[in-house]
Amino acid sequence: MRGTNALLGAAGLAVFLALGEAVPRLGLVKDEYFPPTSRIADALATELADEAFWTALGDTLTGWAIGLTIAVTAGILAGVLISVTPYLREATASTIEFLRPIPSVALIPLAVLLFGSELRSVLLLVVYASFWQVLVQVMYGVRDVDPVAEETARAYGLGTWARVRHVLWPTALPYVMTGVRLAAAVALILAVTAELVIGAPGLGARIAVAQTSQAVPEMYALVVVTGLLGLLINVGARTVERRALAWHQSVRGEVAV
Amino acid sequence: MRRLLIGLAAGAVFVAATACGSSDSSGSDGGKASGGTTTVKAGVIPIVDLAPLYLGQSKGFYSKRGIKLSLTSAQGGAALVPGVVSGQFDFGFSNMTSLLVAQSKGVPVKAVANGAASTGKQGADFAALAVKKGSPLKSAKDVEGKKVAANTLNNICDTSVKESVRKDGGDPSKVEFVEMPFDQMPAALANGQVDAACVVEPALATIKSQGGTSIASLFVDVSPDLTVAMYFTSQQYVQKNPETLKKFQEATAESLAYADSHPDEVREIIATYTKIPKNLLETLTLPRWPAEPNRASIERLSELGVQDGLFKKAPDLDKLLP
Repeated sequence: MRGTNALLGAAGLAVFLALGEAVPRLGLVKDEYFPPTSRIADALATELADEAFWTALGDTLTGWAIGLTIAVTAGILAGVLISVTPYLREATASTIEFLRPIPSVALIPLAVLLFGSELRSVLLLVVYASFWQVLVQVMYGVRDVDPVAEETARAYGLGTWARVRHVLWPTALPYVMTGVRLAAAVALILAVTAELVIGAPGLGARIAVAQTSQAVPEMYALVVVTGLLGLLINVGARTVERRALAWHQSVRGEVAV
Repeated sequence: MRRLLIGLAAGAVFVAATACGSSDSSGSDGGKASGGTTTVKAGVIPIVDLAPLYLGQSKGFYSKRGIKLSLTSAQGGAALVPGVVSGQFDFGFSNMTSLLVAQSKGVPVKAVANGAASTGKQGADFAALAVKKGSPLKSAKDVEGKKVAANTLNNICDTSVKESVRKDGGDPSKVEFVEMPFDQMPAALANGQVDAACVVEPALATIKSQGGTSIASLFVDVSPDLTVAMYFTSQQYVQKNPETLKKFQEATAESLAYADSHPDEVREIIATYTKIPKNLLETLTLPRWPAEPNRASIERLSELGVQDGLFKKAPDLDKLLP
């Protein structure tokens, strides 16, 4: 079953790449603006041999990793704190609902004013976008705690910390992991967007330079790299999720009772 | 009701907290001396016009005067004016019209060194009103009633396109401008989204390589020796760092003169900070880089801006220019 899936996946990709080669070759679109796959692959090979490319990749991943770490840590802490503290949830609910839908990209002018075109601008956008993903999932997770389990823990005299550790956290963990996986993808999107629009160093800025330089195949090659990066990040996040939730029924594959 | 009150109170606290949270952003003391050298932060755009700055940096024109030039790229000149005024950058690069607009609005900018100038040759400038291969448009007045691409509306592109149309005997008010980045113009022309484009290198070279032509040299029509862009700083920086400023001006003047007389080295340096393909790079029309701005041409640009309603109040050139 697994083998068949992999085979189908490879076949799908092959067809996609072949289409990418054929469409411009047949003249359906101009190859100046949509170069065939082989020319993009050429440009990609040249990119991979360029030291500046690896620096840019490192810059993007740095922004992504730092931003994601801050967002996840802050999201989990804030989510748990808000959920377990009486009144705090009501007090923050309207503010969260107001702030959450603000698209991170709309904060670009603010980021530029505060930090110019530096890593900190990227971080501001990345953290802002991915923080809510984690926070909201954590809050859902905490709300999902079984009241019977919670009361039982109380009855056995478990303290606040012990209840957070043994009742709340295991219940919330699947939600947290979903939040982290979503945040990881969103963080990459925002890291590249920030570089592209603000000009902070990284893959996005490299794409922008290729674009303004009329270097079309190079631009596509870099776009492909960001796509691959997203794929790797998603695979990585799923692996982490599966490991962390190895005990959970959703992963063990047992029928829920 | 209580919920609402608590919510409002929490919101107020949050807003107050974020308002104080970010006061540690960089101050404007960019010129810290370390062992006789001063680090100067310049905000740059990775375009052909800035080649002299990169060339001067690699030739040591700045370092020999005790200036360590730190170049940070920004996306587009529009981001540089606030960046320089807020002190994130000591120097920036901007086209002349943007500087005139900023000055007329009372933004404390000061142009300090020449940036780039038109070649002054009709039909052989680094900017053009370009059309695609086989276009029925033959001269500037033909764009009446047509769509013309401009990188920024109400800026140097529309001013100069209108002047070209006017000089050719057309009615500039009948031109319809469409905003789009330079790099998208070749495709937009080829697809017929626009009929003509106010375009600069290297996109102009792409258009020409596809058989497109220049029907007017816009900047030449404005003035035979138009100062298109300049390096600028903030008025505050001028007052605080007169010494560093003087050194920067001298070094930039030397870089400009060197770049102007060494086009091959210019093309080499362009290849280091852009990704312009080799075949295009060789065909690029480079701007001219005179060491001094041409004041008369800037006055002309300012007059045209007033005529086209770009400024509410005519810019004060004495305050703006060095």
